[in-house]
Amino acid sequence: MLDNNKPEVVVANEVKAESKGEGRYLYCVADNGERADLGKIGLDGKEVYTIPLADLCAVVHNCPSEPYKSEDQEVVKRWVMTHEKVVEIAGERFGTVLPLGFDTIIKGEEDISPEENIKNWLKQDYANLKEKMNKVRDKAEYGVQIFWDPKFITDEITKTSEEIKSLNQDIISKPKGMAYMLKPKLENLLKKEMEKKADLCSKDFYARIKKCVFEIRVEKTKKTDEKRQMLMNLSCLVGKEKSKELGEELQKISEQEGFFVRFTGPWPPYSFVAFG
Amino acid sequence: MEPIRDTHATLVDLLDRILDKGIVIYADVIVSVAGIPLIGVNLRAALAGMETMLKYGVMVDWDEKSRAWEREHRKKKVVPLMEGEEIVLKMFGSQLYSEGIYTAWRQGQLHLTDKRLLLYQKDFDEILFQTPLEKIRGMVIRKEKHFTKEEVEVLYLLFQDNRVAQFRTVDIYRLKEAIEERMKVKGLTLEENPILPGFDRRVLKFVRGEEKVAHISEMWCQPLIQTSGGILNDVWNPGSLYLSDQKLCWQHHFNEKTTVEIPLDELTDMKIQIRDLGGVLKKKKLLVVSCNGTETCFSGEEEKICQWEKTLNKIMSKQGTQLEMETCPQCGEKAPTDGLLEKGCSKCGWVSPKLREEVVETVV
Repeated sequence: MLDNNKPEVVVANEVKAESKGEGRYLYCVADNGERADLGKIGLDGKEVYTIPLADLCAVVHNCPSEPYKSEDQEVVKRWVMTHEKVVEIAGERFGTVLPLGFDTIIKGEEDISPEENIKNWLKQDYANLKEKMNKVRDKAEYGVQIFWDPKFITDEITKTSEEIKSLNQDIISKPKGMAYMLKPKLENLLKKEMEKKADLCSKDFYARIKKCVFEIRVEKTKKTDEKRQMLMNLSCLVGKEKSKELGEELQKISEQEGFFVRFTGPWPPYSFVAFG
Repeated sequence: MEPIRDTHATLVDLLDRILDKGIVIYADVIVSVAGIPLIGVNLRAALAGMETMLKYGVMVDWDEKSRAWEREHRKKKVVPLMEGEEIVLKMFGSQLYSEGIYTAWRQGQLHLTDKRLLLYQKDFDEILFQTPLEKIRGMVIRKEKHFTKEEVEVLYLLFQDNRVAQFRTVDIYRLKEAIEERMKVKGLTLEENPILPGFDRRVLKFVRGEEKVAHISEMWCQPLIQTSGGILNDVWNPGSLYLSDQKLCWQHHFNEKTTVEIPLDELTDMKIQIRDLGGVLKKKKLLVVSCNGTETCFSGEEEKICQWEKTLNKIMSKQGTQLEMETCPQCGEKAPTDGLLEKGCSKCGWVSPKLREEVVETVV
């Protein structure tokens, strides 16, 4: 267990064999070989510092080698935001960073301190990390989610599709029973048209967005409310000078009636650093 | 368009990234749970549903409310007993509930206490049936055919007011013995070999006035309603058909209107027809009664139809306009002789000694 009264180990490589229960919480890897102390900005006010190896460093704080967990959502929320804040601060100070997901902790082993394990990892994955570093340098991640109002789109299709128009006419003119039988047919047809339209729009938007960004990852769409259906969910890696251009393109999309755009960022490039 | 980064508005976007993404380290030096690299593994549980929660904003409140509701409803419900009342026997059981054409075995927990017999439905916290032990006049166990064609033993309780209640449970004899024992303790006596009234009390409630009922049973009736197209109305309605000393009547169960009323001297013909009634009801016997040229059809269980055939034939053959009447030896009410002898008195529940013997034989 972590002893809070124990002095924080800032220069880690001096300590050869720490107690087995020690670990290091990892925030990110920075493109800088500096040994630095970032202050008490970590989770629960922990001292954050760097463990350098050559021209890279890991941004960490000392912790027991067990995961952070809490039943209290407020606590969890605070942790997540703190993690993000530390990655941002590291980014401001060191330039390019490769962020890690929340709750990544490296433990020590017998005769090997957590620091050494981190260094071993940096050494082992050096080429890979460098490659990622180069990819995300001077870029940031943005979230782009495009929604549409299904009701508006349905109305539009109903107005324009000849097939649907004539089927609608049929339903109005036929007796109740017949109309009832025709309704599922109409619904099916509408569904197909909607899918076609969604496909077309997605392809169009994707192509337009692609022009302004370095890389796109297509994420799973999520269920939202009835008024706004998520059409596409993208993570975009965007060059710093290009973000304005992306904003302008998204502006155009959001001006189309029945469409909404959610544009978030800049984020550390979480979606573009995963290995494998 | 400017990107947004307000911490609250974008928390979900942040979570999406921070929990599932970032550098993945493939090394055994990472804290892990059963071999899975630990990236928020433990937090996932805490965070599950957070997105929804944030969307609705007030989730924390709502959640607490639903928990409170759950707590309240999970509370072990106990059968409401009177002060000092003690449970003697508790078993699952059911009672035949009947209202109009609707009948059902209602299930619950049968509780025999030192004061009452009650059927309690735990889930709805409702007492489906209860009676003070003092009101029980007698008990009979009868073997009956269940609709699954199995024979089931049913406990009939006969009450002071001639009402009858039917119960089923796994060990019906144990229930009966327990009630008997309880009655003995209370110094109450049960009638030996009580005879159940031959008349179903619940159909009798339709009969009013001074009419003396000779025969009654639940029957379906097809009212002859001429529609504009000249087609007969093909609707069968549930109700009770009864023969009194004056007339043959049928009363609708739901609106309680007597829609068929034939004075006995106007009853011109009665015959049995066999017809398909639609659906699975093929080749069913129908009772057709004629009066002044109008025919009315009744359907029901075949056994009932045969009884009606017999009863009505008797009346028709006598050509008499009057039913034979007799006085009940117990209460002094006038009643049609056949009914009195074959079924007992509809008013007080008196049963002739001969019938009593017969019934005892069939029961034992």
